[in-house]
Amino acid sequence: MATKKCPVCGVAVKVENLERHVRNQHPKAQVDSTALLTEEEKEEVKEAKATSRPGLTRTGKRMLAIVAVVLVAIIVIAVVLSVWHPPGIGVGQTAPNFTLTSSTGTSTSLNEFRGRPVLLEFMNTRCPACNNEAPILASLYQSFSGRTYFLSVDIAIAGDLAINTPAEIESFKSQYNTVWTYVIDSQGTVSKLYNVYATPTIYILDANGVVAHVPEYNLGQDSYSSLSGYLNATLG
Amino acid sequence: MAREPLSRGDLLLLVVLLAAAGIGDAAYLAYEWYLPAGQQVCDINPFINCTTVRLSVYSSFLGVPTALFGLAGFAVLLVLALLAFRGVERLGPWSVDRWLLAFASLGAVLGLGLTLIEIFVIGAICLFCVFGFAVDLAALYLVAVPLRRT
Repeated sequence: MATKKCPVCGVAVKVENLERHVRNQHPKAQVDSTALLTEEEKEEVKEAKATSRPGLTRTGKRMLAIVAVVLVAIIVIAVVLSVWHPPGIGVGQTAPNFTLTSSTGTSTSLNEFRGRPVLLEFMNTRCPACNNEAPILASLYQSFSGRTYFLSVDIAIAGDLAINTPAEIESFKSQYNTVWTYVIDSQGTVSKLYNVYATPTIYILDANGVVAHVPEYNLGQDSYSSLSGYLNATLG
Repeated sequence: MAREPLSRGDLLLLVVLLAAAGIGDAAYLAYEWYLPAGQQVCDINPFINCTTVRLSVYSSFLGVPTALFGLAGFAVLLVLALLAFRGVERLGPWSVDRWLLAFASLGAVLGLGLTLIEIFVIGAICLFCVFGFAVDLAALYLVAVPLRRT
Protein backbone atom coordinates (compact mmCIF):
# COMPACT_ATOMS: atom_id res chain seq x y z
CA MET A 1 0.00 0.00 0.00
CA ALA A 2 1.11 3.57 -0.74
CA THR A 3 2.69 5.89 1.75
CA LYS A 4 1.84 9.49 2.51
CA LYS A 5 3.74 12.22 4.31
CA CYS A 6 2.55 13.12 7.79
CA PRO A 7 1.31 16.74 7.68
CA VAL A 8 2.88 17.40 11.11
CA CYS A 9 6.33 15.78 11.06
CA GLY A 10 6.76 15.05 7.35
CA VAL A 11 7.65 11.37 7.84
CA ALA A 12 6.36 8.97 5.16
CA VAL A 13 3.70 6.74 6.76
CA LYS A 14 1.66 3.91 5.24
CA VAL A 15 -1.73 5.27 4.24
CA GLU A 16 -3.62 2.83 6.47
CA ASN A 17 -1.53 3.91 9.47
CA LEU A 18 -1.63 7.67 8.91
CA GLU A 19 -4.65 8.48 11.07
CA ARG A 20 -3.30 6.38 13.94
CA HIS A 21 0.18 7.93 13.51
CA VAL A 22 -1.17 11.48 13.82
CA ARG A 23 -3.42 10.53 16.74
CA ASN A 24 -0.67 8.78 18.70
CA GLN A 25 2.47 10.73 17.76
CA HIS A 26 1.01 14.23 17.61
CA PRO A 27 -1.89 14.25 20.05
CA LYS A 28 -1.66 18.02 20.55
CA ALA A 29 -1.47 18.88 16.83
CA GLN A 30 -4.51 20.70 15.49
CA VAL A 31 -5.14 18.35 12.57
CA ASP A 32 -8.52 17.26 11.23
CA SER A 33 -7.99 13.50 11.16
CA THR A 34 -10.96 12.97 8.85
CA ALA A 35 -9.29 15.13 6.21
CA LEU A 36 -5.97 13.28 6.26
CA LEU A 37 -7.02 10.82 3.56
CA THR A 38 -8.90 11.35 0.34
CA GLU A 39 -12.10 9.38 -0.28
CA GLU A 40 -10.18 7.12 -2.67
CA GLU A 41 -7.51 6.41 -0.07
CA LYS A 42 -10.17 5.65 2.54
CA GLU A 43 -11.78 3.13 0.19
CA GLU A 44 -8.38 1.59 -0.45
CA VAL A 45 -7.73 1.22 3.29
CA LYS A 46 -11.18 -0.33 3.81
CA GLU A 47 -10.62 -2.90 1.07
CA ALA A 48 -7.15 -3.76 2.34
CA LYS A 49 -8.52 -4.36 5.85
CA ALA A 50 -11.35 -6.50 4.53
CA THR A 51 -9.00 -8.70 2.51
CA SER A 52 -6.56 -9.10 5.41
CA ARG A 53 -9.36 -10.45 7.66
CA PRO A 54 -9.98 -14.12 7.05
CA GLY A 55 -13.47 -14.89 5.81
CA LEU A 56 -15.82 -17.74 6.67
CA THR A 57 -16.95 -20.50 4.33
CA ARG A 58 -20.41 -22.06 4.29
CA THR A 59 -18.97 -25.36 5.55
CA GLY A 60 -17.12 -23.48 8.25
CA LYS A 61 -20.25 -21.65 9.40
CA ARG A 62 -22.11 -24.95 9.59
CA MET A 63 -19.28 -26.58 11.53
CA LEU A 64 -19.05 -23.59 13.89
CA ALA A 65 -22.77 -23.83 14.56
CA ILE A 66 -22.53 -27.57 15.27
CA VAL A 67 -19.52 -27.16 17.58
CA ALA A 68 -21.21 -24.25 19.38
CA VAL A 69 -24.42 -26.25 19.87
CA VAL A 70 -22.48 -29.29 21.16
CA LEU A 71 -20.42 -27.18 23.57
CA VAL A 72 -23.46 -25.29 24.85
CA ALA A 73 -25.32 -28.61 25.30
CA ILE A 74 -22.39 -30.06 27.27
CA ILE A 75 -22.24 -26.96 29.48
CA VAL A 76 -26.02 -26.93 30.05
CA ILE A 77 -26.05 -30.65 30.95
CA ALA A 78 -23.09 -30.22 33.30
CA VAL A 79 -24.64 -27.21 35.03
CA VAL A 80 -28.04 -28.91 35.38
CA LEU A 81 -26.44 -32.06 36.79
CA SER A 82 -24.30 -30.01 39.18
CA VAL A 83 -27.20 -28.05 40.57
CA TRP A 84 -29.86 -30.74 40.44
CA HIS A 85 -29.89 -33.55 42.94
CA PRO A 86 -32.46 -36.32 43.02
CA PRO A 87 -35.14 -35.38 45.54
CA GLY A 88 -34.96 -37.11 48.88
CA ILE A 89 -37.96 -38.38 50.80
CA GLY A 90 -40.66 -35.72 50.69
CA VAL A 91 -42.91 -34.36 53.43
CA GLY A 92 -45.85 -36.73 54.02
CA GLN A 93 -43.95 -39.82 52.85
CA THR A 94 -43.14 -42.60 55.28
CA ALA A 95 -39.41 -42.63 55.98
CA PRO A 96 -38.00 -45.93 54.66
CA ASN A 97 -36.94 -48.30 57.40
CA PHE A 98 -33.32 -49.37 57.73
CA THR A 99 -31.33 -51.53 60.08
CA LEU A 100 -27.70 -50.64 60.83
CA THR A 101 -25.13 -51.37 63.51
CA SER A 102 -24.62 -48.66 66.10
CA SER A 103 -21.28 -47.32 67.32
CA THR A 104 -21.73 -49.48 70.41
CA GLY A 105 -22.24 -52.60 68.29
CA THR A 106 -25.99 -53.12 68.60
CA SER A 107 -28.30 -53.65 65.64
CA THR A 108 -30.70 -50.69 65.37
CA SER A 109 -33.75 -50.14 63.12
CA LEU A 110 -35.51 -46.87 62.40
CA ASN A 111 -38.84 -48.55 63.12
CA GLU A 112 -37.80 -48.92 66.75
CA PHE A 113 -38.11 -45.12 67.02
CA ARG A 114 -41.88 -44.86 66.78
CA GLY A 115 -44.36 -43.13 69.09
CA ARG A 116 -42.39 -39.89 69.25
CA PRO A 117 -41.03 -37.52 66.60
CA VAL A 118 -37.52 -38.38 65.41
CA LEU A 119 -34.68 -36.03 64.55
CA LEU A 120 -32.79 -38.08 61.97
CA GLU A 121 -29.33 -36.69 61.22
CA PHE A 122 -26.93 -37.84 58.49
CA MET A 123 -23.41 -36.81 59.45
CA ASN A 124 -19.72 -37.59 59.59
CA THR A 125 -17.41 -36.76 62.48
CA ARG A 126 -14.81 -35.24 60.12
CA CYS A 127 -17.29 -32.85 58.52
CA PRO A 128 -16.64 -29.32 59.93
CA ALA A 129 -20.31 -28.31 59.55
CA CYS A 130 -21.36 -31.40 61.57
CA ASN A 131 -18.93 -30.38 64.30
CA ASN A 132 -20.41 -26.88 64.28
CA GLU A 133 -23.94 -28.25 64.51
CA ALA A 134 -23.24 -30.87 67.22
CA PRO A 135 -23.48 -28.42 70.19
CA ILE A 136 -26.81 -27.12 68.84
CA LEU A 137 -28.15 -30.68 68.59
CA ALA A 138 -26.83 -31.43 72.10
CA SER A 139 -28.78 -28.41 73.45
CA LEU A 140 -31.87 -29.51 71.57
CA TYR A 141 -31.52 -32.98 73.06
CA GLN A 142 -31.46 -31.45 76.54
CA SER A 143 -34.79 -29.73 75.79
CA PHE A 144 -36.57 -32.43 73.79
CA SER A 145 -35.15 -35.79 74.91
CA GLY A 146 -38.27 -36.72 76.90
CA ARG A 147 -40.55 -36.11 73.90
CA THR A 148 -38.39 -36.76 70.87
CA TYR A 149 -35.96 -39.41 69.67
CA PHE A 150 -32.62 -38.46 68.17
CA LEU A 151 -30.84 -40.78 65.75
CA SER A 152 -27.64 -40.00 63.86
CA VAL A 153 -26.39 -41.93 60.83
CA ASP A 154 -22.67 -41.78 60.08
CA ILE A 155 -22.22 -41.71 56.31
CA ALA A 156 -19.38 -41.39 53.78
CA ILE A 157 -19.25 -38.75 51.04
CA ALA A 158 -17.49 -40.18 47.97
CA GLY A 159 -13.96 -38.88 47.68
CA ASP A 160 -14.37 -36.52 50.62
CA LEU A 161 -15.37 -38.13 53.89
CA ALA A 162 -14.60 -41.75 54.72
CA ILE A 163 -16.86 -43.70 57.03
CA ASN A 164 -15.92 -43.34 60.71
CA THR A 165 -14.86 -46.11 63.05
CA PRO A 166 -17.04 -46.79 66.14
CA ALA A 167 -14.20 -45.44 68.31
CA GLU A 168 -14.16 -42.15 66.39
CA ILE A 169 -17.92 -41.81 66.81
CA GLU A 170 -17.77 -42.55 70.53
CA SER A 171 -15.03 -39.94 70.91
CA PHE A 172 -17.18 -37.41 69.00
CA LYS A 173 -20.15 -38.20 71.27
CA SER A 174 -18.04 -37.60 74.38
CA GLN A 175 -16.63 -34.36 72.98
CA TYR A 176 -20.03 -32.83 72.24
CA ASN A 177 -22.13 -34.68 74.81
CA THR A 178 -24.36 -36.07 72.04
CA VAL A 179 -25.45 -39.12 73.94
CA TRP A 180 -28.08 -40.59 71.60
CA THR A 181 -27.65 -43.54 69.23
CA TYR A 182 -25.28 -43.26 66.27
CA VAL A 183 -25.51 -45.93 63.58
CA ILE A 184 -22.94 -46.51 60.83
CA ASP A 185 -23.99 -46.66 57.17
CA SER A 186 -20.83 -48.48 56.09
CA GLN A 187 -22.25 -49.65 52.73
CA GLY A 188 -23.84 -46.30 51.86
CA THR A 189 -27.23 -47.94 51.30
CA VAL A 190 -29.16 -45.68 53.64
CA SER A 191 -27.63 -42.41 52.40
CA LYS A 192 -28.49 -43.57 48.87
CA LEU A 193 -32.02 -44.49 49.95
CA TYR A 194 -32.53 -40.98 51.34
CA ASN A 195 -30.54 -39.30 48.50
CA VAL A 196 -28.22 -37.59 50.95
CA TYR A 197 -25.39 -35.79 49.12
CA ALA A 198 -23.92 -33.57 51.84
CA THR A 199 -23.50 -33.52 55.60
CA PRO A 200 -25.12 -32.65 57.91
CA THR A 201 -28.57 -33.48 56.58
CA ILE A 202 -31.51 -33.43 58.99
CA TYR A 203 -34.94 -34.99 58.53
CA ILE A 204 -37.66 -34.65 61.12
CA LEU A 205 -40.18 -37.51 61.30
CA ASP A 206 -43.46 -37.51 63.17
CA ALA A 207 -44.48 -40.15 65.73
CA ASN A 208 -45.67 -42.47 62.92
CA GLY A 209 -42.41 -42.27 60.97
CA VAL A 210 -43.81 -39.87 58.37
CA VAL A 211 -41.48 -37.10 57.16
CA ALA A 212 -42.55 -33.76 58.69
CA HIS A 213 -39.55 -31.65 57.67
CA VAL A 214 -37.09 -32.15 54.84
CA PRO A 215 -33.42 -31.10 54.85
CA GLU A 216 -32.46 -27.62 53.73
CA TYR A 217 -28.86 -28.46 52.77
CA ASN A 218 -27.54 -25.30 54.34
CA LEU A 219 -24.14 -26.73 55.41
CA GLY A 220 -25.02 -26.96 59.08
CA GLN A 221 -26.48 -23.47 59.37
CA ASP A 222 -29.61 -24.71 61.18
CA SER A 223 -30.13 -22.66 64.32
CA TYR A 224 -31.44 -23.89 67.65
CA SER A 225 -34.61 -21.86 67.16
CA SER A 226 -35.33 -23.17 63.66
CA LEU A 227 -34.82 -26.81 64.64
CA SER A 228 -36.78 -26.45 67.90
CA GLY A 229 -39.54 -24.76 65.88
CA TYR A 230 -39.76 -27.76 63.54
CA LEU A 231 -39.78 -30.18 66.47
CA ASN A 232 -42.47 -28.20 68.34
CA ALA A 233 -44.57 -28.06 65.17
CA THR A 234 -44.24 -31.84 64.82
CA LEU A 235 -45.12 -32.38 68.46
CA GLY A 236 -48.27 -30.30 67.88
CA MET B 1 -20.07 -32.96 -4.34
CA ALA B 2 -16.67 -32.19 -2.84
CA ARG B 3 -16.81 -30.55 0.54
CA GLU B 4 -15.54 -27.00 0.72
CA PRO B 5 -12.30 -26.89 2.75
CA LEU B 6 -12.33 -24.86 5.94
CA SER B 7 -10.90 -21.36 5.59
CA ARG B 8 -8.49 -19.68 7.97
CA GLY B 9 -11.41 -17.69 9.40
CA ASP B 10 -13.39 -20.88 10.08
CA LEU B 11 -10.45 -22.47 11.87
CA LEU B 12 -9.73 -19.38 13.95
CA LEU B 13 -13.36 -19.07 15.05
CA LEU B 14 -13.35 -22.76 15.98
CA VAL B 15 -10.33 -22.07 18.18
CA VAL B 16 -12.24 -19.12 19.70
CA LEU B 17 -15.20 -21.40 20.48
CA LEU B 18 -12.98 -24.08 22.02
CA ALA B 19 -11.12 -21.50 24.10
CA ALA B 20 -14.46 -20.09 25.33
CA ALA B 21 -15.55 -23.61 26.34
CA GLY B 22 -12.21 -24.05 28.11
CA ILE B 23 -12.72 -20.79 29.99
CA GLY B 24 -16.20 -21.93 31.11
CA ASP B 25 -14.86 -25.31 32.24
CA ALA B 26 -11.90 -23.80 34.13
CA ALA B 27 -14.11 -21.15 35.73
CA TYR B 28 -16.46 -23.87 37.01
CA LEU B 29 -13.53 -25.85 38.44
CA ALA B 30 -12.11 -22.76 40.14
CA TYR B 31 -15.55 -21.94 41.58
CA GLU B 32 -15.89 -25.51 42.91
CA TRP B 33 -12.43 -25.25 44.48
CA TYR B 34 -13.59 -22.38 46.68
CA LEU B 35 -16.79 -24.15 47.81
CA PRO B 36 -16.85 -26.39 50.88
CA ALA B 37 -16.22 -30.03 49.97
CA GLY B 38 -19.31 -32.08 49.22
CA GLN B 39 -20.36 -34.75 46.81
CA GLN B 40 -20.31 -33.52 43.21
CA VAL B 41 -22.02 -34.71 40.07
CA CYS B 42 -18.73 -36.05 38.73
CA ASP B 43 -18.09 -38.22 41.79
CA ILE B 44 -19.16 -41.36 39.99
CA ASN B 45 -16.92 -43.91 41.70
CA PRO B 46 -13.62 -43.84 43.61
CA PHE B 47 -11.65 -43.54 40.32
CA ILE B 48 -13.83 -41.07 38.43
CA ASN B 49 -14.00 -38.60 41.25
CA CYS B 50 -13.63 -34.81 41.03
CA THR B 51 -13.67 -34.37 44.81
CA THR B 52 -10.61 -36.62 45.30
CA VAL B 53 -8.70 -34.58 42.72
CA ARG B 54 -9.95 -31.33 44.22
CA LEU B 55 -8.78 -32.29 47.71
CA SER B 56 -5.29 -33.28 46.47
CA VAL B 57 -2.30 -30.93 46.71
CA TYR B 58 -2.26 -30.67 42.91
CA SER B 59 -5.55 -28.76 42.82
CA SER B 60 -3.75 -25.55 43.77
CA PHE B 61 -0.36 -23.91 43.41
CA LEU B 62 0.77 -21.31 45.96
CA GLY B 63 -2.81 -21.08 47.19
CA VAL B 64 -4.21 -20.38 43.73
CA PRO B 65 -6.50 -23.04 42.23
CA THR B 66 -4.80 -24.80 39.30
CA ALA B 67 -7.98 -24.19 37.33
CA LEU B 68 -7.31 -20.43 37.41
CA PHE B 69 -4.04 -21.00 35.52
CA GLY B 70 -6.03 -22.97 32.96
CA LEU B 71 -8.55 -20.16 32.75
CA ALA B 72 -5.76 -17.64 32.10
CA GLY B 73 -4.25 -19.91 29.42
CA PHE B 74 -7.57 -20.34 27.61
CA ALA B 75 -8.17 -16.58 27.82
CA VAL B 76 -4.80 -15.92 26.12
CA LEU B 77 -5.65 -18.50 23.44
CA LEU B 78 -9.02 -16.83 22.86
CA VAL B 79 -7.49 -13.34 22.56
CA LEU B 80 -4.78 -14.59 20.17
CA ALA B 81 -7.34 -16.35 17.96
CA LEU B 82 -9.52 -13.23 17.92
CA LEU B 83 -6.52 -11.05 17.00
CA ALA B 84 -5.65 -13.42 14.16
CA PHE B 85 -9.27 -13.36 13.04
CA ARG B 86 -9.17 -9.55 13.01
CA GLY B 87 -6.25 -9.74 10.59
CA VAL B 88 -3.37 -9.10 13.00
CA GLU B 89 -0.36 -11.01 11.69
CA ARG B 90 2.47 -10.26 14.08
CA LEU B 91 2.72 -9.74 17.80
CA GLY B 92 6.18 -8.71 18.95
CA PRO B 93 8.88 -11.03 17.65
CA TRP B 94 6.55 -13.81 16.48
CA SER B 95 3.61 -14.20 14.15
CA VAL B 96 0.23 -14.59 15.86
CA ASP B 97 0.02 -18.15 14.47
CA ARG B 98 3.26 -19.04 16.21
CA TRP B 99 1.98 -17.55 19.50
CA LEU B 100 -1.18 -19.62 19.08
CA LEU B 101 0.83 -22.78 18.51
CA ALA B 102 3.06 -22.00 21.49
CA PHE B 103 0.17 -21.43 23.90
CA ALA B 104 -1.86 -24.40 22.68
CA SER B 105 1.25 -26.60 23.03
CA LEU B 106 1.97 -25.27 26.53
CA GLY B 107 -1.63 -25.98 27.56
CA ALA B 108 -1.49 -29.47 26.09
CA VAL B 109 1.80 -30.28 27.86
CA LEU B 110 0.47 -29.03 31.22
CA GLY B 111 -2.85 -30.80 30.63
CA LEU B 112 -1.05 -34.05 29.83
CA GLY B 113 1.10 -33.70 32.94
CA LEU B 114 -1.92 -33.07 35.18
CA THR B 115 -3.84 -35.97 33.63
CA LEU B 116 -0.90 -38.33 34.26
CA ILE B 117 -0.68 -37.07 37.86
CA GLU B 118 -4.41 -37.71 38.28
CA ILE B 119 -4.10 -41.29 37.01
CA PHE B 120 -0.81 -42.38 38.56
CA VAL B 121 -0.35 -40.18 41.66
CA ILE B 122 -3.81 -39.18 42.89
CA GLY B 123 -5.46 -42.36 41.63
CA ALA B 124 -8.60 -40.57 40.48
CA ILE B 125 -9.59 -38.52 37.46
CA CYS B 126 -11.74 -35.43 37.29
CA LEU B 127 -14.04 -35.40 34.26
CA PHE B 128 -14.14 -31.61 34.06
CA CYS B 129 -10.30 -31.51 34.03
CA VAL B 130 -10.19 -34.16 31.29
CA PHE B 131 -12.74 -32.12 29.29
CA GLY B 132 -10.43 -29.07 29.54
CA PHE B 133 -7.50 -31.19 28.35
CA ALA B 134 -9.53 -32.52 25.41
CA VAL B 135 -10.56 -28.98 24.44
CA ASP B 136 -6.93 -27.89 24.47
CA LEU B 137 -5.85 -30.91 22.38
CA ALA B 138 -8.53 -30.04 19.82
CA ALA B 139 -7.31 -26.42 19.70
CA LEU B 140 -3.70 -27.61 19.35
CA TYR B 141 -4.67 -29.85 16.42
CA LEU B 142 -6.46 -26.95 14.69
CA VAL B 143 -3.54 -24.51 15.03
CA ALA B 144 -0.84 -27.12 14.33
CA VAL B 145 -2.27 -28.86 11.27
CA PRO B 146 -5.07 -27.25 9.25
CA LEU B 147 -4.29 -23.63 10.20
CA ARG B 148 -0.68 -23.96 9.00
CA ARG B 149 -1.94 -25.19 5.63
CA THR B 150 -4.07 -22.07 5.04
